[in-house]
Amino acid sequence: MAATASAADAARRVRRRDRASTAALLSGPLLWLLLFFLAPVVYVALYSVGGIKIFPTDAGVWSVGDWKHLLVGGSVYMGLFWKSVRISLTVSVIVVLLAYPVGYFLALVVRKRKYILLLLIIAPFLTSYLLRVLAWEVILGDSGVINSFLSLIHLRSSDHPVTWLLNSQFSVVLVLAYVWVPFVALPIFVSLDNLDISLLEAASDLGASRLRTFWRITLPLSIPGVIAAFVFVFVPTIGEFVTPLLVGGPSGYMYGNAIQDVFTRGTDWQTGSVLAMFLLVVVAGLMALFGRYVRVRSVAA
Amino acid sequence: MRYAGIAAGAGVLASCKKASTSASAASGSPRPAIAQEPGGLKVFDWAGYGGGEYYPKDEKAVFTAPYEKATGDTPTFVLFENDDDGFTKVATGNAPYDVVHPCAYRFKDYVDLGAVQPWDPSLIKNFSQLSPLLEQLGQIDGQQYFIPEDWGYIAPMYNADQVKPTEDSWSLLWDDRYAKRIAWINTLEMLVIAGYYNGVADPWTMTDDELAQQRDFLISKKDLVSFFWDQSYDFWLKFKRGDVWVGYAWPDAYGYASAQGMNAVYMQPKEGRIHWSCGLGLFADSQNYYHAHDYANTWSSVDTASFLENFYYYGHANTSVDLKSLPPGVVKALNLDNLEAALSPPLSHPESWISRRDVYAQYWSEVKAA
Repeated sequence: MAATASAADAARRVRRRDRASTAALLSGPLLWLLLFFLAPVVYVALYSVGGIKIFPTDAGVWSVGDWKHLLVGGSVYMGLFWKSVRISLTVSVIVVLLAYPVGYFLALVVRKRKYILLLLIIAPFLTSYLLRVLAWEVILGDSGVINSFLSLIHLRSSDHPVTWLLNSQFSVVLVLAYVWVPFVALPIFVSLDNLDISLLEAASDLGASRLRTFWRITLPLSIPGVIAAFVFVFVPTIGEFVTPLLVGGPSGYMYGNAIQDVFTRGTDWQTGSVLAMFLLVVVAGLMALFGRYVRVRSVAA
Repeated sequence: MRYAGIAAGAGVLASCKKASTSASAASGSPRPAIAQEPGGLKVFDWAGYGGGEYYPKDEKAVFTAPYEKATGDTPTFVLFENDDDGFTKVATGNAPYDVVHPCAYRFKDYVDLGAVQPWDPSLIKNFSQLSPLLEQLGQIDGQQYFIPEDWGYIAPMYNADQVKPTEDSWSLLWDDRYAKRIAWINTLEMLVIAGYYNGVADPWTMTDDELAQQRDFLISKKDLVSFFWDQSYDFWLKFKRGDVWVGYAWPDAYGYASAQGMNAVYMQPKEGRIHWSCGLGLFADSQNYYHAHDYANTWSSVDTASFLENFYYYGHANTSVDLKSLPPGVVKALNLDNLEAALSPPLSHPESWISRRDVYAQYWSEVKAA
């Protein structure tokens, strides 16, 4: 009796020590998140309903007028939001379709030097984002690489270059897809790399063709990685504003640009706060939704 | 428990926000002499006015060196991209500088905010050489709150090798023949231009109906536009490359084009150009009162005027510059030999204060978002 009591005591002490050390380790990151993420978000949320006054011209009265205008008042920003969602969906689908073969090749085809090749694919990632985006101006511009080539082979005269290559929604989608493919190849690679090879061997032993094996075994098992990859692209891209600013022109204007403009070009920060909070709420909702389908452990394991 | 903590945190942050700049009470208390001022003058300005963004050596020689010689102090420059950008920063109390350089249609906003204090023109030797026509723009409530220095126009500019306008009018900015070869400015001033084109009586004080009309008009023409420019130099680079042939332009773009030998035309449209003027303001809580006046004196000098006219094709309030020393293209484009006519309707309209600026900004956002 006494032995089990002291054993239980010892176990309780160990658990308490573990809890204490866990709490101590977590306190740093938690404090950081609280100060630099949670508090500013709450601040912006309060500002969006008029709870805080920053400018002398602010009303300083609680009101949900701006929210009502955005959600049900036929605000032009709602249309802009759906346009951004459409662009993000397009980019995400294209990126996943392009990154899947890359991940597949690395995980299941390459035998030696797998991680060196992975590094080579990630390497462009390490250069400046701005430079990579601006390089596209050189390629897509009216006197850029593509148009020069087209006029060289006499498909277009140099007086009538293809103008929709740059400063258009096309260039926004193209550049965003280009930027995200290496990043998205990673979760797909990880989930394919963790496939049990014996399953594939068993399938071929039982007479399945490679295509059938892919369709019935590889693809279904890699779905969590694909969904994680899709979310990894979709969520940041909705709020994207740098690429549209550089290569989007008037028609490539996205929701993130509207938020940036409202905050930097006027004192109507209340509208800006409403726009920003709306995006945050939508993204949080999406993450909760996807969380039901993506079991994090199955991607990381 | 958690939520109480969050609410407390938010409360702390709310009370910690910077207080807005208050009007200085310096008129009663004696000022420290220049030797007691801290120095290190901070100038909140556009690019190319001393920071060396465009002509490092020349800018230094014109803006920094004479001031350094007079006071022994070296100014530092903080840049803003445009007036809206700069004003927002000041309005949130995030501009701990000495001198600011906004444009005349913003002067009243700064004064209403209490952010600036009046200059004492008697402390500025070169003030007498400045055009009274421009200096009165900086007088608000009978005090010289701003010292207008540089001025210029807003007009359509086009590449005459590629473009043949049907008439000298702002309509060139939405000419179907030059689709995707047109550049607009990325500010709400496009609504004003549309207003002048569509015959609005006073585009600077438009009603909601008139604004909606201009908004819808601009949205209908947006597809013809290649891009909206923020920096005049970006517009110039695309113009030089031949990516755009027509644009809403300041005279500096025309200056670069002429210097490059391009066949550019700076149009005098039938609806009239717009002329802008920007001036130096002194922040209310600046500790460098006398240093700032010395800086204003440097800005008001003939050498600065000559630099602006030669390098940027901008006008300067100092009218003592010998017109014969300037390239004839400058004199012609800026109408320097007939300033009074040039700075009045019908040749050009003054860029004026917009009392409902936030409303205009809203309509412009809608143009961009559509």
